[in-house]
Amino acid sequence: MEKYDVAIIGGGSAGLAALKQLSNHKKQAVLLEAGNKIGSKNISGGILYSKKLKNGHVHNVEDVYGDIFLREAPVERKIKKYILHATSKDKIYSMDLTAAHEYESNFGYSVLMTKLNSWFAEQAAESAQKFGGGIIPGVHVSSLEWNKKTNTTIVTTDELEEFEVRAIIAADGVNSEIAQISSIPKFTPQQLYQGVKVVVKLPEDIINERFEVESNEGAAHLFAGDVTINHIGGGFLYTNSSTLSVGAVYHFDSLLENPTEPYTLVDSMLRNPMISEFIKDQVPSRRKIDKSLPQEEQLRIRFAITKLLKTWNELRDASLSKGGREELLKSGKYNSEKAINERLSSIQEQLTEKYGVGFVTDYVEVEYGAKLIPDGKRCRMVKPYHKNILFVGDAAGRGIFIGPRIEGLNVGIDDAVRAADAVTRALDRNNFTSNYFGEYYSQSVANSPYTRDMKRIDKDYLKIFLDAAKDIPKDIISAKYGTIIKLMSSDTFRSVAVKLANILGYERLLPIVESEDTFVKVPIEVAKRLGEKVTATYVPSIPSIDDRVAKLKFDDDNTSHIKVLKPQSEFMKKMVTLCPTKCYSLENEQVVLQHEGCIECGTCSHETDWKHPRGEKGIVYEYG
Amino acid sequence: MNQLNVAVIIKLEPDFSEGNVSYNPDGTLNRADTKNTLGPHSAIAANAAFYAKVKYDAKVSVATMGPPIAETALQMAQKLSDAEELHLYSDRIFAGADTLATAETLKTGIQKMQGKMDIVFSGHRASDGETGQTGPQTAWKLGYPFFGNVLNYEVNVQNKTIRIKRLVSLQGFNDVIEEVEAPLPVFLSVDPSYKSLFNTVSQRISYEKYQKQAKIRSENYKQYLMVFNLQQLGVDPTLVGLPGSPTIVFRVERIPKGKANRQAEVLDSSNPEHIRKAIAKINEALSAMVIK
Ligand SMILES: Cc1cc2nc3c(=O)[nH]c(=O)nc-3n(C[C@H](O)[C@H](O)[C@H](O)COP(=O)(O)OP(=O)(O)OC[C@H]3O[C@@H](n4cnc5c(N)ncnc54)[C@H](O)[C@@H]3O)c2cc1C
Ligand code: SF4
Repeated sequence: MEKYDVAIIGGGSAGLAALKQLSNHKKQAVLLEAGNKIGSKNISGGILYSKKLKNGHVHNVEDVYGDIFLREAPVERKIKKYILHATSKDKIYSMDLTAAHEYESNFGYSVLMTKLNSWFAEQAAESAQKFGGGIIPGVHVSSLEWNKKTNTTIVTTDELEEFEVRAIIAADGVNSEIAQISSIPKFTPQQLYQGVKVVVKLPEDIINERFEVESNEGAAHLFAGDVTINHIGGGFLYTNSSTLSVGAVYHFDSLLENPTEPYTLVDSMLRNPMISEFIKDQVPSRRKIDKSLPQEEQLRIRFAITKLLKTWNELRDASLSKGGREELLKSGKYNSEKAINERLSSIQEQLTEKYGVGFVTDYVEVEYGAKLIPDGKRCRMVKPYHKNILFVGDAAGRGIFIGPRIEGLNVGIDDAVRAADAVTRALDRNNFTSNYFGEYYSQSVANSPYTRDMKRIDKDYLKIFLDAAKDIPKDIISAKYGTIIKLMSSDTFRSVAVKLANILGYERLLPIVESEDTFVKVPIEVAKRLGEKVTATYVPSIPSIDDRVAKLKFDDDNTSHIKVLKPQSEFMKKMVTLCPTKCYSLENEQVVLQHEGCIECGTCSHETDWKHPRGEKGIVYEYG
Repeated sequence: MNQLNVAVIIKLEPDFSEGNVSYNPDGTLNRADTKNTLGPHSAIAANAAFYAKVKYDAKVSVATMGPPIAETALQMAQKLSDAEELHLYSDRIFAGADTLATAETLKTGIQKMQGKMDIVFSGHRASDGETGQTGPQTAWKLGYPFFGNVLNYEVNVQNKTIRIKRLVSLQGFNDVIEEVEAPLPVFLSVDPSYKSLFNTVSQRISYEKYQKQAKIRSENYKQYLMVFNLQQLGVDPTLVGLPGSPTIVFRVERIPKGKANRQAEVLDSSNPEHIRKAIAKINEALSAMVIK
């Protein structure tokens, strides 16, 4: 049997950082990822932060990958504006929270996981190969067998021969099978959020102009109020280089209480007039081909239109981006920007005149996706290890979600470094006893400033938030919250109030803060009273969920990776509504699963026998 | 050391995917307006060669005959196979070659490669009107035993033998897998369903390593490229190009449309009655099938 020092299970941002850090320490590690291509199964919002915290050190992405990250990583835009909007129909009240976004942070970049993780993988693999390790995609770890005598673990996968390792880093995400194998209970709905998002295509120049940002700089817009359809959580819109990420994150228990389809929730965002205006673009609309023509002629026309549209799209995208224009000019095909635009108009004319293609105001959605998110305040593992397995990132239930603070990526990277350091130390001494290894890691994580942030309110952060809200009439706030929050909004009593709150503990405070009042009622009231009217100039034609699923790429497996255990339970019946891709239906009071189209979000995992698909199978995100 | 040498013959073909392909009003392919790419079967052959690279650390060479732009196909094949030697046989005189004349050119080229080839791979066939004959004819000219429809293979580098699994049809059964062993050298034409199997961690790590190397090499493919004209290749001009092609294409006819003898019925998937009807039909069809 082949032997390796370390196996990392899961190639998301956390697992990849663990591999890179182990290579930085010159240790041999192999990373196993179920997806056929690294990044193809990862989805985020997402803004990747680098932090400088006043009460201690965290390990940032650039510490792991080095300065090359800052120079070359395919991040989207550096977020320079952070704005929270309260919505009520066409009324919107906006608060600038850029100070909160910049609080204790070096930077925050918008990112798309498929592209970014594949870059991380290139970096990590190159280093890992030097020490006899590497990344193996398309492999699903199915079980682990602990060997008491040798203190090692035998790793079984669906694809490869078994092999033996001395330590394991479990970075297999929120629906961790490694946690299940280790008899660690699944996260409960109270501990989770469901995130759903769409990626919208929009040329770079239009983004710069519309969001009033420079190239490479971007904006983040958060939404609360009636866009939530009465759920606890909120929506987001982030600018990427030439796409927008629009999505929503809601408490899973709030969704269970009042089930609404995830796509309806994201549609509610898209239909908000401010967002409709943000996403709009010039979109070609094809005319139906005359069916009375001979079939070959119909086919020829269809192919011709597809080809022209493809050229039009490529050329338009390039002409509306700085890099694209430069490349076109450099290629020698065009000698001026004017020539590019002329060519573009001529293609457009040809499309219109010859083939009857119209150009209308609408938006272009390129990807739909969803995933559960662990709420670190409620579900972080107290002891994130089991025998010689260390849990990191989403698998360890870690992530900071406080008000507008949404951070899972940076926390997972910090965990990964701590895990890699613990493994290195244990390998050096050949000591994998729980005291020297697991407990050491557990302590290191407990001491991370991020863990502190999952446990306590930071009064300086709160102040920024309250300052931004200073124009909101006190009576709206007073009517909804208890004394503590009222005290917090007063400069004189804030410190005392925060202390008091921290004594009370997050557990008791959270139900007050993370409530329908905060995310729905207060924002609606604020928008109604103070908001400005925003009107949309068109109605976005939002694709149906069937069309969205049809657009996704899957490598279908003929056997299902999910087994329904209780087809008649209340929970499972709610999955008919809450599965983001409509995999469940109700037939004769029994819930039936059709696993094709499953995007592995984990929403149904609570009451099913839930595994990831075999290696290479299942969803293949292109943006993530 | 027992270095294994393998070669792949490939072809640049029109990209038939929607958005890339163009047709003339008379329904024939508009070649000028259609993009070209490495033929899909050639790509599978390159994958098969890469297996030898990963598993046996073989040296891979790729060859094609075609116009100068065919070097893009070589580049794509290099990216798949981590080839260290790329051959392009390009000369006006080669134009108009049929499969036999092409085979003569390729054979001569393969013999000029560094090291004697132990295995030569070809794709199943080309997608632009070829007949799947170039492979076997090249094999015949090289004097290598030919194996078609290869699904996978293992080499015993020490003994210089190869075990091959291939798809054959036997007494009316279409999907019979035949396993054969042969001494090297051999010529393998790779089945469209060919799949390399790497099932240990160490093989997969090498796979990743060589794939990356292949990517880097293909970015600098010109470094590995050698272009030969008739003279440089030293091939007999009467055996190549039009003069060497006994095939005469008399006329190309469009395949007449068959008359449909089936009847379609439109069903509404939201109507349970219709679904039941569909299932009844399927059952009927299944029970009528005799499993031989
Ligand atoms: C809509 C949404 C918005 C978000 N917004 C933000 C944001 O703005 N900022 C932020 O910091 N965070 C955000 N997050 C959270 C962040 O995306 C996650 O915390 C982060 O992606 C988790 O990374 P990970 O590496 O721990 O897990 P994952 O990215 O889930 O990776 C786990 C990997 O393990 C693989 N795997 C699982 N099981 C196996 C197995 N048995 N064998 C082999 N491989 C396996 C999976 O294929 C997957 O690739 C958001 C999340 C969502 C869903
Ligand atoms: S079947 Fe379950 S895991 Fe798959 S998409 Fe639906 S809810 Fe998510």
